Amino acid sequence: MTPDIARLRQHAQEEASRFPALLARADQLAGTVLLGDHGRRRAGLGDDFWQYRGMRPGDSYRSIDWRRSARGDEQFVREREWQIAQSVMLWVDGGASMRFSSSDKFPEKSDRARLVALASAILLVRGGERVGLTGWSLPPRRGDVQIARLAEAFTREDDADYAPPEARGMLPFAKAIFVSDFLGDIAPVEAALTKAADRGVRGALLQILDPAEEAFPYQGRTIFQSMGGTMAHETLKASDLKESYLRRLAERKAHLEQLCRLTGWQFHTHHTNDSAQAALLWLYRAMDGGH
Amino acid sequence: MTLFGALGFTAPWLLLGLLALPILWIILRAIPPAPVRRRFPGVALLLGLKDEEQVSDRTPWWLMLLRVLAVAAVIIGLAGPILNPEDDGEVAGSGPLLVVMDASWASAADWRSREAALDGLMNRADRESRPVAILRLTAPEQFQFQSADVVRTRLSAGLPEAWEPDAAQTDRAIDLLPEGDFDTYWLSDGIARDAREGLLSALEQHGDVTVFESPAPLYAIAPAAFVDGNVALSLQRLRPGPEAEVTVAAHGRDPAGNPAVLMRQAVTFAADATTAESELSLPAELRSRIERFEIEGNESAGAVSLPDDSLRRREVALIAGREDREGLELLDPLHYLQRALEPTAEILNGALTDVLPANPDVIALTDIATLSGAEEEALSAWIEEGGLLLRFAGPRLAASDVSRDAEDPLMPVRLRAGGRTVGGAMSWGEPKSLAPFPEDSPFYGLQIPDDVTVNSQVMAQPDPTLADRVIAQLSDGTPLVTHKELGQGQVVLFHVTANAEWSSLPLSGLFVQMLERLAVSTTSSALDAGELEGTIWQPVSVLDAFGRLEDAGTLPGVEGPALLDDPLGPDLRPGLYEGEDRSLARNVVTEDRRISPTVWPDRITVEGFSQPRETPLAGWLLALAIALLAADVIASLALSGRLRGARATAAVLAALALLPAEGRSQEADPLANEEFALAATSEVVLAHVLTGNDRVDEIAHAGLRGLSDTLFFRTSVEPADPMGVDLETDELAFFPLLYWPVTPEQEIPSPEAYVKLNEYLRSGGMILFDTRDADIASFGAGSPNGRKLQELARPLDVPALEPIPQDHVLTRTFYLLQDFPGRYSSRDVWVEAAPADARLIEGMPFRDLNDNVTPVVIGGNDWASAWASDEQGNPLVPIGSGFAGERQREIAYRFGVNLVMHVLTGNYKSDQVHVPALLDRLGQ
Repeated sequence: MTPDIARLRQHAQEEASRFPALLARADQLAGTVLLGDHGRRRAGLGDDFWQYRGMRPGDSYRSIDWRRSARGDEQFVREREWQIAQSVMLWVDGGASMRFSSSDKFPEKSDRARLVALASAILLVRGGERVGLTGWSLPPRRGDVQIARLAEAFTREDDADYAPPEARGMLPFAKAIFVSDFLGDIAPVEAALTKAADRGVRGALLQILDPAEEAFPYQGRTIFQSMGGTMAHETLKASDLKESYLRRLAERKAHLEQLCRLTGWQFHTHHTNDSAQAALLWLYRAMDGGH
Repeated sequence: MTLFGALGFTAPWLLLGLLALPILWIILRAIPPAPVRRRFPGVALLLGLKDEEQVSDRTPWWLMLLRVLAVAAVIIGLAGPILNPEDDGEVAGSGPLLVVMDASWASAADWRSREAALDGLMNRADRESRPVAILRLTAPEQFQFQSADVVRTRLSAGLPEAWEPDAAQTDRAIDLLPEGDFDTYWLSDGIARDAREGLLSALEQHGDVTVFESPAPLYAIAPAAFVDGNVALSLQRLRPGPEAEVTVAAHGRDPAGNPAVLMRQAVTFAADATTAESELSLPAELRSRIERFEIEGNESAGAVSLPDDSLRRREVALIAGREDREGLELLDPLHYLQRALEPTAEILNGALTDVLPANPDVIALTDIATLSGAEEEALSAWIEEGGLLLRFAGPRLAASDVSRDAEDPLMPVRLRAGGRTVGGAMSWGEPKSLAPFPEDSPFYGLQIPDDVTVNSQVMAQPDPTLADRVIAQLSDGTPLVTHKELGQGQVVLFHVTANAEWSSLPLSGLFVQMLERLAVSTTSSALDAGELEGTIWQPVSVLDAFGRLEDAGTLPGVEGPALLDDPLGPDLRPGLYEGEDRSLARNVVTEDRRISPTVWPDRITVEGFSQPRETPLAGWLLALAIALLAADVIASLALSGRLRGARATAAVLAALALLPAEGRSQEADPLANEEFALAATSEVVLAHVLTGNDRVDEIAHAGLRGLSDTLFFRTSVEPADPMGVDLETDELAFFPLLYWPVTPEQEIPSPEAYVKLNEYLRSGGMILFDTRDADIASFGAGSPNGRKLQELARPLDVPALEPIPQDHVLTRTFYLLQDFPGRYSSRDVWVEAAPADARLIEGMPFRDLNDNVTPVVIGGNDWASAWASDEQGNPLVPIGSGFAGERQREIAYRFGVNLVMHVLTGNYKSDQVHVPALLDRLGQ
């Protein structure tokens, strides 16, 4: 009993220590992107000033902007810009394949995926959007608490080698971000995208790859194993495989891109040796461009 | 032992193992290299891919070759290969073996190779169990044939001697030869000697004779001669050869009395020449200090020549009474003296008081009658210490009253007034000639030319002592030259002038010889045996065969003629001999000695020492095998793709570590230096001296870190991380403060480091010495740290110190302090002493003390421990107890702050004392 509790506690502490770090880094990363609140360019409910207009019958006295009106004889009403929140659904691959890093110098793919996803979530929340996870676990909400919840949700890890994208619970006409390496079976991805497109959900696929996965710098007799150990492939001369591997990788990327074009999504490949900010900027633009 | 050409094996059957190599090849080929297990998420993309070729499952041929070679190297190595195994087939013999060694100075130059050859001979004799005996011709002794093992133990005792075997010694050696057959190995020095043939034929009667001779060039140097103001060097070599340049070094003592090389001269032997000449032009001062000439790089007595007095020229000061007769050279009283002395002596000119401090050997006064009191006194003192005063008469002396009634101390005799003139126009009689010199005269034996006549002279008063003092007289018995001992020196008076006015003596060669005899000038001619007859010469220092000068110790004296002519030997060693009034050098190679190579009869086998030596190769082969296996490790890693990044570096480093590390340079990397300088100067950096004691260094570093943090938080000084400095290699000028914890075991820095430290102290740096012993001994010798501190600080340029006074600027540079505790709280902290004239000025709270930063602060309070903190700022060392301890730590920090402030601002706080006065003066 006691060991269990102790282990749980230790684990919890580890998790907890990872969590604020992720949050802080994501926050910092998000801070690098200048936020533009995407208003609707028309008067309505919102926080930002839109225009003054003369008081019209029907306006309540409470809506009169007395400071402006005191300058003259007319009464003015301050109108605010209409702002509306979007729902953005995130899916970050928690599969074992994401926990790969070819060198100490590069972060694990999952680490980068969470960082970018969380940072974009922070940006979106600051922009007034509602952010949540696909599936039923965390529906889109706004506010800082939601970011904390997201961060916590991201730290959960999946044991499966390749996790299929979660496409359930997507709100119609919402936006979605899928972050994964997309190295596993392509069929669930295809299905998820088709389903999303059916519901009018647009979004972005961010493929995160390790430089080694792009370069395949291996030689000699090698047994390649998946991260979870469920798959293995033995070769006598790894360098000979390079070409065919790279061809397949390119095919995979082309397939994903094709899929995105069909469904109106956007596709981008990010490498862990590049700066996370690049991925974040792309994601942010992909989200913003959808407006 | 089995032989294959130049290669032999001790265990040749092991070589059969080489047959297994093809099998090994096949086995190695059959086994593919082990696979690498590698995690890779992209494996999903790899599934289903087929290998295009099946080749790389085989080890590549070059790797296999590497491995097979490694195994072959092991097999061959274990078989015990020996390169050039000494083949005894030629000189087969089982009888006794006699090793004859010349063991002369000529063998000394390559004595090592002779020893090695001898060692080889012993090895062979030992293997064949032949009894061996050694006969050294320079010191023949009764010998017995003994087993090589026994003889070998005495090998090191048999050093060469500084002479060559002469006929007598060779004869004795022939007498010593035992009956019966034996073979002979003769380690010859290569110099031809007549006595060789007899010994050779005697040896050949007993058995085979093999001669070993070294082909190495042998150089010899003849005694340096003095020719035309230059030192002439004459060198020889044994065998003519190609053009060669050797360097002759003149060793002597520098003015401070330390042995030094005074001059080097390159001497070139022309191709095929056996002799070479060179001349050294040296100032007299330097020349007289030369103690020996040496051919550099030749360790033999023949390559050393000792100059005796022949190079040393006496200094003669010439002082004339009359300086007014300018231009009349032949009438100049000094002219003939000068001409007589010029070739053999150094002549000093000048006033008497000017030349006396130069301490000349001789002072010649021509016709000087009176001397001032001071001059006389100085001159007497100089004579009593061994000077020779040479006086010449003249009109003035004759007219003066000097030494008339009482004997002048600087005159050998009393003089009659006026002198006399004979054979002149106004006088009767013939000019007088010289009488033969009496036997006790230093001039005895000199030939008197007929044409030497004396016209005028000063006359000596007949005194009881006169007869003893006359050393030359005229034919009528009147004294011509008189002398008197005075202390260790003497006064000599020529009763005639030094020019030709009174006599024709200065015109004759006799004059020169007389001066020589008086030791006014040194002889340029060689001594002859007649002169040395009956003299005994005491050796002062002798040369050994390697050309090293040794103290002669209790060696007996040598008779003069023997010293000149006898061959060198145990009784007459080469070296420096001292006689009554001069020294004589006996050199190994005399002036007329010509060395020439021995010509051996054709029937004699002559071998060199340079024949290839027996070299066991097993070690090399096994090392090669290890190197090959190491290469195999790296190659295998590379081949299986495991050699990447850090591993590659590690592997390459490991490979480099296997290489001999001779290529490593010890020079400081300029880039590293620059980095160090940048790190030390970008911010203020406190530094501590690395003591070599890890614990102390760590605490010192932590202490300075704590102090730096404190400074950072409290003051505008914002130091970077402290650095440890190595006094030997690091530049000190970058650091305002050096903290130097004293440990008893730390090394004393080198003189160069002290130069740097003194430079540092002079340019405003400060060293805080911390004996860390709570000053229990008050810097006495009681504590080991205190003693070490004294040792460390002795070469430092430290001013006078005093315990820190109450009004020292250190007490108020930042905090107002009166205590300077560290881990201990002794009050004894020493700083530069205030100047003696520092006074308390009326109205000033402090004295105006030193203008500079005190270069050292010395204490024993272990400040670093009090300051020490880890990276988080937590104190590392407990101080005192409870709050009082924390207070002490706080005061320690304050002391540190004050110290750094003092270093950085100097006496700023002292100057501020004057601010009210300045403001007052400015009318503010």
